[in-house]
Amino acid sequence: MTATASLALRTKLMPTTTVLRAATAALWRPDGLRQRYLRYLAAMHPLVRASVPLLERAAERCAELDDPAARHLAAYYTRHAEEERDHDTWLLMDLAAAGAGPAAVPHPVVVELAGAQYYRIEHEHPVTLLGYIAVLEGNAPGPRLADRLAEATGLPDGAFRTLREHAELDGGHLDDLHRVLDELAPPPDRQTAVSVSALHTANLLTRLFLSLAADPGGHP
Amino acid sequence: MTEHTTPYDDTSSGDTPSEPTLEALTAAGFDLDALSEEQYEVLRALAPEELALLVDIRGRLDAAAPEVQAHADVAGGALF
Repeated sequence: MTATASLALRTKLMPTTTVLRAATAALWRPDGLRQRYLRYLAAMHPLVRASVPLLERAAERCAELDDPAARHLAAYYTRHAEEERDHDTWLLMDLAAAGAGPAAVPHPVVVELAGAQYYRIEHEHPVTLLGYIAVLEGNAPGPRLADRLAEATGLPDGAFRTLREHAELDGGHLDDLHRVLDELAPPPDRQTAVSVSALHTANLLTRLFLSLAADPGGHP
Repeated sequence: MTEHTTPYDDTSSGDTPSEPTLEALTAAGFDLDALSEEQYEVLRALAPEELALLVDIRGRLDAAAPEVQAHADVAGGALF
């Protein structure tokens, strides 16, 4: 029996869970957490700022392809862009509530994360964006993370809207992505392209978390 | 890191699967217990690029404290 496209993707990503859990344990360790959380917010803002433009560009590229599956995918990307619109402003509000501001320049690994997707959309296939979304929404903030960070950092509740909203929303978004992936049932080479995009994202996300967990200013 | 796409000197346990891809994953330190046959089938068929990325990701565990893992309730932090 051949696995569905979503089961195949989830199986390939399953071994990455241990590594990402260890990286987030380092990221959210108690010592120095207040400053580290501010660095995290500043790093995540340019990443989230890229989400809607990536979805919109992927939808445009789908429209250039003459096949029904691409039209179905474009509809998903367009719908998801509306769900994600303006979420980058939540991060700016969180930073302001914490008495901080956005980073002067994006973290290099954030550029690699989003930049790789622009390449894949333009030069590979827009379906590969599904792998990126699956990893980011599949490693969303846990349901109690915001409460724990608020308690440990002493920052006001207004500094945690992004974590709370994503903890609430991303489980449903991930279910939707898996459903779309199964409806598309991409051929094997496209499924590989999606999972390579996903594993590349998981690798870079681990690097980002470990970089933020390290001393200020440290990049891998 | 693409050198781990072939079978290793086997230093893992005796119940290591015999297929090269599964052996490479086990040798890299991944725990493949409790997978369904359908999932084994998926991992057996990994492309070299997929396997190389998984092995690379596993190598990053050394940079964290591998024995410490955040509980799911307070883990995560990725944002899309």
